Amino acid sequence: MLTTIRKSKGLLGMNSRNLTYIRPSNLKNAIRLADNKLRSKELLFNNEIPVPKVFGVVRNRKDLELFKWADLPKSFVLKPNHGRGGEGIKIIFGQKKDKSWVSTEGRRFTIKDLQNHIMDIFEGFYSLSGVSDIAFFEERIQISKILKPYAYKGIPDIRVIVYNNVPVMAMLRLPTKESEGKANLHLGGIGLGIDIAKGVSTHAVQRDQLIEKHPDSKLKLSGIRIPYWRKILEIAIQCQQVSKLGYIGVDIAIDKERGPVVLEVNAHSGLSIQIANLAPLKYRLQKVQGIKVQDESHGIRIAQDLFGGEIEEEIEEISGKQVLGIIEAIKIRHKVEDVEETHPLPLSRGELIEKPEITKEVKQEEKELKAKIDTGADLSSIDKNLAKELGYEEIINEFDKAIENIEIDSASTKEILDEKIKDNFAKWGDDVDTVIIKSSHGVSYRLTINMNIVLSGVEVVSKMSITDRSNLEFPVIIGRRSLGKFLVDPSKKAKTVFGA
Amino acid sequence: MSEIINFIISQGVDVDTVYLILALPFIATLIVIFRQIIGVKSFGIYTPLVLAFAFWAIGLKYGLAIFVVVLVSGTAMRYFLKKFRLLYLPRIAIVLTVISIAILGLLTLAGYLGKIGLASTSILPILIMITLIEKFISTQVEKGIRTATLLSIETIIISSAGYYFIIWDSFRNLILNHPEYIILLLVINIILGRWTGLRLREYFRFKDVIKHVDNN
Repeated sequence: MLTTIRKSKGLLGMNSRNLTYIRPSNLKNAIRLADNKLRSKELLFNNEIPVPKVFGVVRNRKDLELFKWADLPKSFVLKPNHGRGGEGIKIIFGQKKDKSWVSTEGRRFTIKDLQNHIMDIFEGFYSLSGVSDIAFFEERIQISKILKPYAYKGIPDIRVIVYNNVPVMAMLRLPTKESEGKANLHLGGIGLGIDIAKGVSTHAVQRDQLIEKHPDSKLKLSGIRIPYWRKILEIAIQCQQVSKLGYIGVDIAIDKERGPVVLEVNAHSGLSIQIANLAPLKYRLQKVQGIKVQDESHGIRIAQDLFGGEIEEEIEEISGKQVLGIIEAIKIRHKVEDVEETHPLPLSRGELIEKPEITKEVKQEEKELKAKIDTGADLSSIDKNLAKELGYEEIINEFDKAIENIEIDSASTKEILDEKIKDNFAKWGDDVDTVIIKSSHGVSYRLTINMNIVLSGVEVVSKMSITDRSNLEFPVIIGRRSLGKFLVDPSKKAKTVFGA
Repeated sequence: MSEIINFIISQGVDVDTVYLILALPFIATLIVIFRQIIGVKSFGIYTPLVLAFAFWAIGLKYGLAIFVVVLVSGTAMRYFLKKFRLLYLPRIAIVLTVISIAILGLLTLAGYLGKIGLASTSILPILIMITLIEKFISTQVEKGIRTATLLSIETIIISSAGYYFIIWDSFRNLILNHPEYIILLLVINIILGRWTGLRLREYFRFKDVIKHVDNN
């Protein structure tokens, strides 16, 4: 009991957050500005901080009548200006042939439905204290490739808490089926703690409970490397300076093309971030209090020194390349087709889709294994049985059959052999090819398939030659062609990148 | 009984009225303790407060019965009305109409079944409970049914605790004998207003974090 109290001294509770941090640090005007999404967006934009574009603002019934619906793009986000906690936000991710839109909840929206929703926003349904509100349409961020497998329909975002110009704690928030594609934790989204020095995810929490795997995609949640990490921290600090909120939670999403974009700033940032990081926040706030921080990079350095995990990335910082050992844990991503029935939600207002919609969804799955990094090999290769396991059985069997009666000798070239098997083997798209491999054992003619491989958190598309490695220690060899983005350090010990 | 209380009563003020008025700030402080120290939330401070007194007026059993009927019929009505596009106030008025009918039905049924206590309930506490429905519905809209239901349950817990205090004889005697203790409430609330410690509930919420804190 006593140890519990002593150990919990560094935790930030609701009372302390409100009284010790929000009250003195966040002045009323700054809070009012943060709660007004359009105004804070304008402020950030004027200070050259990237924000999503606004397609249109609807202030009253007149605006609504005159609104040009045809000008809306296929995907957008509809938001109440004073909403809190993701309520009232509709994320539209596609348009059907009949011009109706589809939201991330799987609901269909006609113009009439959108008008009704905007009327609700006018009435103050979703605003902080029920006062009347205005609505606006905003650009829908295009999800970046690295985070895509982890997000259910919506956009993941990164919450960074900044205090005294130091990013003290951060969390990656993932939308789930339960949260209907929204990244808000109290709606059922997942929060991932982030090592603030490296930008790599650590622990995961959903509804205040620790979890290991994504409930929808079953992907492992630790070890995700967040791109643009340094830039994200810089932007978060700039947001604090501009918004004048002493204690701020900045929500940043990563756009496929634009990179980090600020979704919103919060004056009342939640406390679950402590569970996702398994680290007490008050302790960190107290540590950075009173430090004189010169600029963004100074703030980031302080955060890295004080709150980062072990620092081993010095070389990587300089060369910009990840360092690999001789044996590395890797993940191979492969696609699995999944037919899913989505039932319309009975909770929502408006026109419901009566029949369940059958959508074919191509899901990504991951296989984790240890691979040998071999700078002596040009091409990467993968064991035949493993490749079959990953869903390439059909094409491998077809190729094997096609080359059964073909003679291969040292005079054979790829062109000649390709010509010979042409009738029995149709290449299935750009990801499939063949290769001739000459070695001391002779000449072999192999099938190659491009696979997505995650090496030390970095995803590379790697051409893999398929061969029988069943009696060898490692089922996968990573050769030079796949290693352009890395440095290899033979003395680096094999460690798992999954945090296991 | 304290001299002040005796004086007030001798002026013709009913002793129950004196007691209830003096009990009000005590129950309010109790709700503050629930919120700041324990971490049980509710619909603000006013809702659990009046609900506790409504429970006192008609008894906990019947009070709960009526409150649950109000909440359930109100929520059902809200979902039913979602289909029609109505402005907020008319919509709430319709909800109130339906609740009134439901309550009337409940009272009639109670009388028919011989539960005279429920059938002859006074109108004021019932009115109080009906007006609370607006708060409940706006919470449903703002924070979702899950949060609203949780908050209702917690409100009921706090109000029941308040109810038990009001009917507790020792509490009544304490207040009537020492009304000056009310000054103490000011001190307690100033302390509570500056309390930055963890709420009891947060020890459970953050148990995993606490486990991970190093021992030194």
